[in-house]
Amino acid sequence: MIGRQPLFPKKRRREPPVPPRVETGRSRLLITGALFSAAFLVVTGRLIGVTMFVEKSQPQYSRTVGKAALKTGRANIVDRNGNLLATSLKTASLYANPRVMLDTREAVNKLASVLPDLNRRQIHKKLSQDLSFIWLRRHLTPRQKYEVNKLGIPGLDFRDEERRVYPSAALASHILGHTDIDNRGLAGVERHFDDNLRKNNTPLKLSIDVRVQHAMRKELAEAVQEFRGVGAAGIVMDVRNGEVVSIVSLPDFDPNLPSDIEPDTRFNRATLGVYEMGSTFKIFTTAMALDAGRVSMRGGYDATHPIRVSRFVIRDYHAKRRWLSVPEIFMYSSNIGSVKMALDVGVVEQRAFLQKIGVLHPSPVEISEIGAPLIPGRWREINAMTISFGHGLSISPMQLVAGVGAMINGGIYHAPTFIKKRVGSKTSGRRVISAKTSERVRRLLRLVVAKGTGRKAAAEGYLVGGKTGTAEKVVGRRYKKKALMSSFVGAFPMDAPRYVVFAMIDEPSGTKKTFGYATGGWVAAPVVGKVIARIAPMLGVRAVDEKAPEIEREMAIDIVTKKEGKRRLASF
Amino acid sequence: MIKAATLFWMFLATAAGIGLFVLKYEVKSMEGQLATIHSKTLENLEAVHVLKAEWSYLNQPARLEDLGRRLLSLKPVKASQTVDIEDIPFRPVGARGGQAANSSLTNPNPPAADQVPPLFAKIRRKQ
Repeated sequence: MIGRQPLFPKKRRREPPVPPRVETGRSRLLITGALFSAAFLVVTGRLIGVTMFVEKSQPQYSRTVGKAALKTGRANIVDRNGNLLATSLKTASLYANPRVMLDTREAVNKLASVLPDLNRRQIHKKLSQDLSFIWLRRHLTPRQKYEVNKLGIPGLDFRDEERRVYPSAALASHILGHTDIDNRGLAGVERHFDDNLRKNNTPLKLSIDVRVQHAMRKELAEAVQEFRGVGAAGIVMDVRNGEVVSIVSLPDFDPNLPSDIEPDTRFNRATLGVYEMGSTFKIFTTAMALDAGRVSMRGGYDATHPIRVSRFVIRDYHAKRRWLSVPEIFMYSSNIGSVKMALDVGVVEQRAFLQKIGVLHPSPVEISEIGAPLIPGRWREINAMTISFGHGLSISPMQLVAGVGAMINGGIYHAPTFIKKRVGSKTSGRRVISAKTSERVRRLLRLVVAKGTGRKAAAEGYLVGGKTGTAEKVVGRRYKKKALMSSFVGAFPMDAPRYVVFAMIDEPSGTKKTFGYATGGWVAAPVVGKVIARIAPMLGVRAVDEKAPEIEREMAIDIVTKKEGKRRLASF
Repeated sequence: MIKAATLFWMFLATAAGIGLFVLKYEVKSMEGQLATIHSKTLENLEAVHVLKAEWSYLNQPARLEDLGRRLLSLKPVKASQTVDIEDIPFRPVGARGGQAANSSLTNPNPPAADQVPPLFAKIRRKQ
C-alpha cells in the first residue's frame, strides 16, 4: 500500500509579490463597490422615505378626488336666517353653427314653432352669415330645450350657462340689485360684493329678515295705494349693532327680468334719495340741546310769536301761542321752540353734532346706490334755524334711521350695515350723547305716541315711541305746496329699545278717513304701528302691559306749563 | 442550496407580480366606482340646489300669508295673547290629572281654580 501521500506535495509557497497592476485593479474594485453600495444606500433611504413618510411634494390623490362640492359661478345670497335670496342655476343656451346647417329656411320655421316669440326675419338673416357661432337664445327652460332637441336640426347645439335666480322676486330687489346676462353684478349688494361673490363659494349672509321685509313692503304698498302716493320707503334697523333687518323702496322691480326693469323703479328712496326730513329732525335738535345742558326737561321757550328772519317767517303748524316746555315743544312739534333751542346751542355746535351722528356723510351701507346729503355751503344762523326743524338739509332715510338709533339706544352710534354680524363679534360704536340724554329722548318719543301727533303708531304691548315728520317736497328751487313727504320714525320697545322702524310715503293725498290730511301722523304713523305689531312677535320682543305702574313710571314725563306767569305741573 | 434560493426568489417575484396586478385592477375598479359615485353626488347636489331654490320660491312670505289666510283658521298673534312663563300658575295639587309628576314643579300654595290671574283668564275666554 502506498502510504498516504499528498496528491500535491505541500510546497512551501512563498507569497508571490503582488504585481502593481493587480493592486490597481483591486483598489478600483473597492471604489466601484463603495460607490455602488452608496447608491444602493440612497435608494434604500428613498424607498423608506417614500413608503413611510408623506412628503409635501407628493401628489395627494385623496385630495384630488376629494369631497364632491357644487361650484357655482356666483355665490348664493341668503337672509339672516339662511333663506335663499339669490342663487345661480344651470340653464341651457341655444346657439347655431350656420356652416353646418343644411336648410336655413326650414330650420327657422321649425324653431319658430317651438319658440314662438323668435323674430324669424332677424334669425334668418343671422343664420345666412358665414359664421360658425351665433347665439340664438340664452337661458332656455328645460321644456324648451327638450323641444328644440326633438326638432333634430343639424347645426344647433346647447351650451351650459348659469343664470342668476331670485326666488323671492321683488321682495328685496333694491338691496339685492341684479346681474346682467353674463352674471356681472349691476346694482345693490350684487354689485358691491361682485368680486367676493365670484371668487367665494360661501353664501353671503345679509342682515335682512325676509319676514320683516315682507311685512314692511306689504304695509307700505297698502299705504301707497290708500293715499295714492307715488312711492314709499321703509327701514327697520337693530339699534344695538346697526344691522338693517328690512329696507324697502317702492315702487320696486323683479331682478329676475333685468331687461324689463322700468328706469324709475330702480330708484332707491331709502338710500339714494335725499329729502328734507322735516320734524323728525327735532329728535336731533332736542337731544343736542339736552345733552349740551343748554336746557332741561323742565325748561322751555316762548313760542307765542312766529320768528321772522330776512324774508322767511317760521311758524308753528299746531300753534299754541304761549310759552312751551321742552316736552311740549317736542309733542306739539313746535318749529319756533326748536329754532330757539338750536340757537341756544350754537351754529358751530349744531354742525359738529350732526357730523358726529353721521348726517353729513353718505351712509356707509354696502350697496352702490347711496345718496350724498345736500348740505348748505355756508352754515349760517339762518341755516341752523331751518335745520333745527329739518329743512335746508337733505339726507337719506338710512342716515336718519342710523342717527335716531344712536339717540335712543343709550347714545352709541353704530354704522348701519346690510351684512349680518357674526354672533359674539364685538360691536364697535362711538358714543355721541350720554345715556341719560338718550333715556330722556326715549321718554319724549314715547310721549308723542302716547299723547301727541304719533298716536296712530301705537302697537299695544310694545311701547312704541316715535316722531312724525311732514315736509314739502322741493321741486327745482321752490317748495311744491301740495306735494308732501310724510314720514314717521318710530322705535320699540321704549323701555329697552331694540329696533328703529321708519316709514315714508312720497306725495300722499289725504282721504275721507284722514279728513283730508296727508301728514306723517295720518299717513306714515299707522304703517309703523302695523309693521311693529306684525314683526315684534317674530323678532322675539316681549310684550308688556303698557298700563302697568312700573312701565308708566319709567315712561313718565313731568310737563311744566306756564300760564300767566304761574308754573303748573302736569304728569303724563 | 443555490437552487433553493433561486426558487424562493423566483416565487417571491411571481407572487409580487401577481399581487401588484390584482391590486392595480382592484384600485382601478374602485376608482371607477368612486368616479361614478362622485358624478352621482354632483348630480344630486345640483338637484338639491334646484330644489332649494324652488323651496325658497314656494316659501315666499307673500305666498305663505295668502295660503295661511285661505286655508288655515289662524290669525297673527296679538300682544295680549302672549304670557310670560313666570305668569303661568303652577298646576294645583290634586287638580284634574292627578299629582304632577315632578313635585318640585308644583306650587305649594296653588291658586284656586277660579282665581286664575286676569291675563290667563283672558286667554281662556278666547278659547
